[in-house]
Amino acid sequence: MLRLFALFLPTVIPSWRFFKTVAPSPRIEYRLISGESKGRWQEDRPRPEHLGGWQILGRMLWNPDWNEQLYLVSCSERLIEAPSQHSIDEINLRVAKALPAGSGDLQFRLVFLSREGKQIVKLVEYESAPVSLASLKGASA
Amino acid sequence: MSVMDVFQQGLTAAQAMGWMQVLLSFAIAQQSLEHLARGDRMIFVPRLILCVVMGLGVGGAWPVWGLWGISLAMLWRYQGPYNGGSDKMTMLILSCLSLAHMAPTPFWQEMALSYLAVQLVLSYFVSGWVKLVNPEWRRGEALCDVFRFSAYPVSEGLRRLADQPRFLFVMGWAVILFELVFPLSLLDPVALKLALLCAAGFHFSNACFFGLNRFFWIWLCAYPALIWFQDRIFG
Repeated sequence: MLRLFALFLPTVIPSWRFFKTVAPSPRIEYRLISGESKGRWQEDRPRPEHLGGWQILGRMLWNPDWNEQLYLVSCSERLIEAPSQHSIDEINLRVAKALPAGSGDLQFRLVFLSREGKQIVKLVEYESAPVSLASLKGASA
Repeated sequence: MSVMDVFQQGLTAAQAMGWMQVLLSFAIAQQSLEHLARGDRMIFVPRLILCVVMGLGVGGAWPVWGLWGISLAMLWRYQGPYNGGSDKMTMLILSCLSLAHMAPTPFWQEMALSYLAVQLVLSYFVSGWVKLVNPEWRRGEALCDVFRFSAYPVSEGLRRLADQPRFLFVMGWAVILFELVFPLSLLDPVALKLALLCAAGFHFSNACFFGLNRFFWIWLCAYPALIWFQDRIFG
């Protein structure tokens, strides 16, 4: 009950501090592991190079993929600030859902981008334990 | 009736609540359909049904209270907001509307709507203030960083805007100044409507650049409360 109250309170007394600072920004990268063979790290749902005007307007009404991506950004930030199994499960399930079915394990890591002087630096802040892709696909079905 | 007449018109508390419920039924239905595309039928089928009921204007306060309960369940399901500030605003509007429906007297109904109106003003003013006190925003670097490496730009092509520091400096200051002076628009009904149009344009641009479509729709839902508030306090 106390937890629910803690989740509810910021919605009725919001801080409204949008973009107070531009904090290090998370990206989710994943790889597939099959036995001893570890695949290369790949960015989860890389954004397109270009979006046309009609696509942007269409997204005003229908934008489920991008909104899920924003939720995964929140889960990534929460995982660093206050680690929880919930955040790990949500990322695992949603990364797995976007992948074709297969055997082996799925592992993800969180890479944070930030600016140091004029350079953009990448820092790996978290690496998950590998989980069976088949079990994740089954759970997200 | 001329455009000026429309701009000078206020709303009664009942009209404001009615408009908010119609707008909310659309905004929450839009959110719910997006969720249904990803699964989670247990939460979002009932949510969608309640939106339709509320949009049709039947069931009195029950659909509002039902949607409030489902929003609470969503907070639990996602262990916080799914879509950041837009979920917070959804919950805030539903909480204030729920209280306004439960209010034993018109005074308490007005208190609930006033709270929402004040929070709406704060959503702009506080957001402008925290940028103003940050040197990176004042120098225009923060907006460059948003485009350069944040998770928000919807395409890689948009990141090239980070190479236009003068343009982003001007845009950054335009946002800061607009957010800071927004409360002054309460002094005049026409100024308020114009400020709300500008604010809607601001949310629209955020939706185009950063994919924040839900923010656009849900912030519009709270505007009737502010139009009522302006008329009630300054009218």
